[in-house]
Amino acid sequence: MFQDRRLGLALLAPATLFILLGFLLPVAILLSGAFQTPEGWGFSSFTEFFAKPLHREVFWRTFRLGLYVTTISAVIGYAVALSIVDASDKRKGRLVATLVLPLMISPVARTYAWVVILGKTGIVNQFLTGTGILDTPARILFSETAIFIGLIQLFFPLMVLPLISALENLPRDVVPAARMLGANWLQVFWKIILPLTREGLVVGGTLVFVGSLTAYVTPAILGGSKVLMLETLLYQRVSVANDFAAAGVIAVILIVMSIVTNVVLKRLATRKGGK
Amino acid sequence: MRLAGQTILFLVLAFLIGPFILICVAGLSGGETLAFPPEGLSLRWVARVFEVESFRATFAVSITLGIGATLLALLIGVPAAYGLERYNPPGANVIRNVLSSPIIVPGIIVGLALLRHLVIPLGVGILPALFIGHTALLIPYAVRIVSGSLVNLRVDIEEAAVLLGASRLQSFTKVVLPNIRNGIMAAFIIGFITSFNQVPVSLFLTGPGVSTLPIDMMAYMEFNYDPSIAALSGLLALMSLVIVLVAEKLLGLSRYV
Repeated sequence: MFQDRRLGLALLAPATLFILLGFLLPVAILLSGAFQTPEGWGFSSFTEFFAKPLHREVFWRTFRLGLYVTTISAVIGYAVALSIVDASDKRKGRLVATLVLPLMISPVARTYAWVVILGKTGIVNQFLTGTGILDTPARILFSETAIFIGLIQLFFPLMVLPLISALENLPRDVVPAARMLGANWLQVFWKIILPLTREGLVVGGTLVFVGSLTAYVTPAILGGSKVLMLETLLYQRVSVANDFAAAGVIAVILIVMSIVTNVVLKRLATRKGGK
Repeated sequence: MRLAGQTILFLVLAFLIGPFILICVAGLSGGETLAFPPEGLSLRWVARVFEVESFRATFAVSITLGIGATLLALLIGVPAAYGLERYNPPGANVIRNVLSSPIIVPGIIVGLALLRHLVIPLGVGILPALFIGHTALLIPYAVRIVSGSLVNLRVDIEEAAVLLGASRLQSFTKVVLPNIRNGIMAAFIIGFITSFNQVPVSLFLTGPGVSTLPIDMMAYMEFNYDPSIAALSGLLALMSLVIVLVAEKLLGLSRYV
């Protein structure tokens, strides 16, 4: 019944053309601009970009925060996912809903809450000055720490949800069997749980790492104009200095990082056997 | 071990949900500046949110954009999903990758690319450009969710409809569509929320007179430290909560996320 391939292609044409013309083409032109130099093609925009200490600092900060956020999310994510999987079905449903719900709420609203908490007159500073630990309010907002906290809150559910489904697919008896044969909890985790849930970890890790690298709202609100990440730097270069060369370079970096992460981690997930 | 797990679980949930409760309470403040605990409780800042002209205008833009972009994404995304799942045309894998590419490209780049290579050279308006950017972003979601529904729908019933004399179009509208209705509605809700909350794609595609609500909120908070953004954040959280709860009850939304 479905042999008519021309009809199949006709059904796909509108969406495919829309993406090609309205999305991929403009993006491709923008990216190619980063490789254009006065003399033709080359990488001079990149060397110029990385020649500035500020740009290098922002690059490494983005990379570092991405790694921290992903690592911490993974560690806490396993602890949370393990206790959720242990819960009764009804409780599990409620807990998962509690994790999904924040994903539906505006990131601006989610991030702004941290201004109330970490700001100069925020709860943390009220506590620190009120109890006499500090004389003057500490500067927590507009720092790497604030961005880190905001990113964790934003992306943590994206790590836990794949871990939960990976743990649910774990064969029922493997953990009790390993325990009975004398493995301690650490051994059970390293030798049984981790290898068998690697795919979930990779899915979650990709979402969190790429999400952190390409975050805009969190560094814009919690980092301010001084503590920049790549996306806020891009916005600042364009809106303040009309510096489209730097913007093109950042665009290439972000896309390459995003694609490389997706490809490399997918390889890791599907690699047979492991160690 | 179990106790430690439960403690961590409780702390993490408090970390994820706690800030929402704080911001809702801070938005109910009677004082002049943002603070927690608030200086007295009142609804004045909630009322103030509805009086700010730019919030009203950008809310209308965000709602229109969200509904319009999601409808267009479904209008071209549903046939695409159907073509991919049923016809398996030549180059299906390449097309699949093309259709999901907007997920991989960071939104801010999309916005900048549309500004530099669509709005400026071709004279396309800001609003149509926003519409194009948001639709492109939503197509992958529409295709993925609807494909999921189509995979679960048996092909036999379509073949039966055609054998009994229905045309291709009739079998699609009378047999397939009613059966994937829940998937389409879930895709609509997820698409609308994604568009409504979207910041990076819209960032470069706003100008004097045209902005979206989240962008306008970020601009407002840069120069104001009153509780109105907290009140508005609380309202938006409430709106999402209601949409998600209703959708969960009617469609089982979480199956589609």
